[in-house]
Amino acid sequence: MRNLTANRALGLACIAFALLVAFVWIPLDTETWLVEPKRGRNIVGDSLAPTLAAAFVLVAGIMLMFHRGGDEEKPSRDNLRFICTMIGIGVVSLLIMRWAGPALAALLAEGGDYRLLRDTAPWKYTGFILGGGTLIFSMIAFVEERLSWRALLIALAAVAGIILLYDVPFDDILLPPNGDV
Amino acid sequence: MTDLGALDYIWLGVLAVFQGPEAFSLLGLPISITVLMVTFGLILGIVVGATPGLGSVIAMAISLPILISAFGFSSDALLPVLGFLIGVMKGSTVGGAVPAILFNTPGTPDAYMTTLDGYPMARAGKASKALRISHFSSVTGDTFSDIVLIVCAPFLAILVEAFLDLPEKTALLILSLSFIAAVVGGSAAKGLLSCGLGLLAVYIGTGEDFYPRLSFGLPALSDGIPITAAVIGILVIGAIFSELEELWHQTRRTGTIEVAKDQGDQRLHWADIRRIFPYISRSALIGTAIGALPGIGSTLAATIGYATGKRRHARKKVPGDPAFGEGAPEGIAATEAANSSVSGANLIPVLSLGIPGNTAAVFLILAADSIGGFNPGPAVFKFSTDLNPELVIAFGLFTTMIIANLLNWTVGGALMRWLGVLVRIPKQHLLPVVLLLTLASLYVEETSMSAVWFGFGFGILGYFMKRFGISPLPFVIGFVLGGRLEMTARQAFSATGGDPFFLLKSPIAALFIFAAVAVVYFSVRKPKAVTP
Repeated sequence: MRNLTANRALGLACIAFALLVAFVWIPLDTETWLVEPKRGRNIVGDSLAPTLAAAFVLVAGIMLMFHRGGDEEKPSRDNLRFICTMIGIGVVSLLIMRWAGPALAALLAEGGDYRLLRDTAPWKYTGFILGGGTLIFSMIAFVEERLSWRALLIALAAVAGIILLYDVPFDDILLPPNGDV
Repeated sequence: MTDLGALDYIWLGVLAVFQGPEAFSLLGLPISITVLMVTFGLILGIVVGATPGLGSVIAMAISLPILISAFGFSSDALLPVLGFLIGVMKGSTVGGAVPAILFNTPGTPDAYMTTLDGYPMARAGKASKALRISHFSSVTGDTFSDIVLIVCAPFLAILVEAFLDLPEKTALLILSLSFIAAVVGGSAAKGLLSCGLGLLAVYIGTGEDFYPRLSFGLPALSDGIPITAAVIGILVIGAIFSELEELWHQTRRTGTIEVAKDQGDQRLHWADIRRIFPYISRSALIGTAIGALPGIGSTLAATIGYATGKRRHARKKVPGDPAFGEGAPEGIAATEAANSSVSGANLIPVLSLGIPGNTAAVFLILAADSIGGFNPGPAVFKFSTDLNPELVIAFGLFTTMIIANLLNWTVGGALMRWLGVLVRIPKQHLLPVVLLLTLASLYVEETSMSAVWFGFGFGILGYFMKRFGISPLPFVIGFVLGGRLEMTARQAFSATGGDPFFLLKSPIAALFIFAAVAVVYFSVRKPKAVTP
């Protein structure tokens, strides 16, 4: 489409999303309608507020369709490459953070149950050190476009610093993922 | 205790700060934990303000779970925690000028205009003097704004309680949301979109029915999206991604930073103060007026303050004095007084109406919500003859602001002059560390990996919003106010016997709704120039 500017594309997406929310998601995933009769009186149902929120998005979409002006901001190919890499690094790091401890415990610990070890050093730090270290190291390496010992040292020092900040002084604080494994 | 008057409440608020739990004693004088926390907050605020890439929002996001773990959920925790956050807020506005003046890199977005005259002054060997002018102007503007807050907030709250019933309060919330959506960001349409998404997100997994609405039956969604995950994800993590990307694009542009050595007299004399004071006073008024309106922000205040000062300077300047943009001390004064005077006034809508006007106010509400016992809003200012503990906390909060200002006047200037070294920390090393720290703080607060995933996901949403030129602030305010808007509307609907036109029956409510539509209509017609 020749005249499909960034704002119009965003407007169309908003309109489609708002209609989907208002006519599919809300009716199928909410118990009560906009207004419900209860003990002889009408009360506001659970659908009303999200429908109004969808109306905000719909109005915004219509306004964007008719928007005139120069602020045609949109993500470029480079932006998408960057954020996809960040998502990849983040997802892998968080998965390591969540599963490294249980996996290592299953392999190396007696009994193999991480839940019994999650408040015991060094087990309780394994997920955070490996996952957090991966996150920091990979992000620095990606932004600098090179692997360096310095990035690794910064990652390890930062993880150690966060452990000292949150875990060492407070008995009631658990580092990820130890509170809900 | 019987027959408490306004002065009694003020005095009780002061005592709550100074006679609260004792941290230590200095020369036999007990120092309360609240005073200590305000001091720590102020120091941290100046440090993060002086570090490009950090800021008060990141500092508040990371410190909040630590503060709550350290102080617990009792009412004794309120003043130390809120006082710390106030200290961070005030410190960061002062600290933001340090890298702007010394290295032409604004520490906070609202310090950008400070670079225009601050950096030329530093290059001319007047760095210390420029920092002194910035400090004096900033703290003067902030103090003025706090005085306006302390005087106005209680009266506004009393007026709201006296004249606004449930339909009017609902309409006022709608007006606030539409105002924020219309004035913040690149366009009214994008502001409205941001606000709508924030409202939609907060309604997931909540409601009054047995089944948690819009949750797809998933346990992770059935308790709703944690407010900290949404707010910190959109504001902090989204901003970290954007900053990292800029660094990726300009990878390793790390030429050595040259700093000119100070030459000549660096002190701030009475003559200097007389010269810059007219600029400070105008900018303080501008900043306070802008700050009292929710959502507009200090960047616009700095821009208008600078532009107003520039016009005056062009008329009044003595031949030979530098013009604005060439190292005029008046330029620094006009900018810093304007952006700092926003912070106190920004708390007027929070304390008097319960409507957060900026991100710092959002964190004050988050802290108050987490601890309990203090619900910012008009009900706080009930001067009942029986003790109203929330009013004591409110006056305690005002006291912490005065303490923060006194500290800013006395030690803030020296501290900000020492912190120039922070600008040398490479942002590409700092930001991933801050990201992990932020995710860890989210986990510590929610004790759930799903909160970390939510925070990361909202960070990606925040990044895309930035790329589409959509401000995240209306999203955050929509998320924070959405629950209250729905609750007030439900109560108003029931109280009016199920009248579908309850928002148009009372003249005040109808006026608010009309204003809400008008503000969006006029902002659509008029293109905006400034994106806070």
